[in-house]
Amino acid sequence: MLAALRPDSFDLPLFLHVLGATLLFGSTATVAIAGYASRRTPDNSALLARVVAGTWVLVILPSFILMRAGAAWIVDKEFPGNASEPGWVGVGFIVSEPGALLLIAVGILAWVSVRKKRVLLAVPILASIYLLALAVAWFAMAGKP
Amino acid sequence: MDTYEWLLVFHVTGAFLMLGGGVVAATLNLTAARRNRRPSEVVLLFGLIRIAVVALTIGALLAFIFGLWLVHEAPFGYSYGDGWVIAAILLLILSVVMGSIGGRRDGETARFAKALAEQEDSPSEELLRRVRDPAALALSYGSGLLLIAILALMMWKPGA
Repeated sequence: MLAALRPDSFDLPLFLHVLGATLLFGSTATVAIAGYASRRTPDNSALLARVVAGTWVLVILPSFILMRAGAAWIVDKEFPGNASEPGWVGVGFIVSEPGALLLIAVGILAWVSVRKKRVLLAVPILASIYLLALAVAWFAMAGKP
Repeated sequence: MDTYEWLLVFHVTGAFLMLGGGVVAATLNLTAARRNRRPSEVVLLFGLIRIAVVALTIGALLAFIFGLWLVHEAPFGYSYGDGWVIAAILLLILSVVMGSIGGRRDGETARFAKALAEQEDSPSEELLRRVRDPAALALSYGSGLLLIAILALMMWKPGA
């Protein structure tokens, strides 16, 4: 139900964008879940630190690239050249660009967590903030307020 | 925002919860399937997958209910008889059934791991064999692939 009277040529970039966004949501949720769980199970905190770092490298990073590349592709098709973009597109950029800095911070802290053999509390907190930002983005993309 | 857009927000939220929950479950399942995992680690990882199952269940309900409502509400002449709508419903049902059966087998593996952890918490070939059970993996990962196929159907809407 995501499509509504849009040219067929928009389908592939939109599919890649949404697929990347859902994978990014799931992988960020994995980091948040593993991070909070490590506070409750100190015996397994080294394992969960590796889960957090592995998820960041193998899923968060590629899915962010997929989401962002799909977004750039479809914006280029829908609003070519200097065409003005509606506010909901701006919300997407606000979430994805400062959000990238947040994800880089999560990645650095995940690496530190592996070295320390325990997940730093900042990791799940930052991941949770990013999850909320993603929810705002999909609200804006779907509802186009 | 009108009714259609609100329905779309809830439908998309369902899709994010389903696919996101699938990613959480797959990541933790792959981690559990590594050689030399202690039973207590498998218990922990499979226990965390239960959080993903809650997201998957809520997501499937949201996507299904609001998806059906959207077909009725959308101003584009969609019908419950459209091939892409029928295909999406059938694929969603198949995905839920496959995920449930795969999840039940994983539940049995988690109980076995818990029993092992209470005796001697050391890596077990039998536990590894159960965690890597090809039937359970095929059901669970097949269920996830069907969700991606449904996402593709929602984008291309063949025949609409």
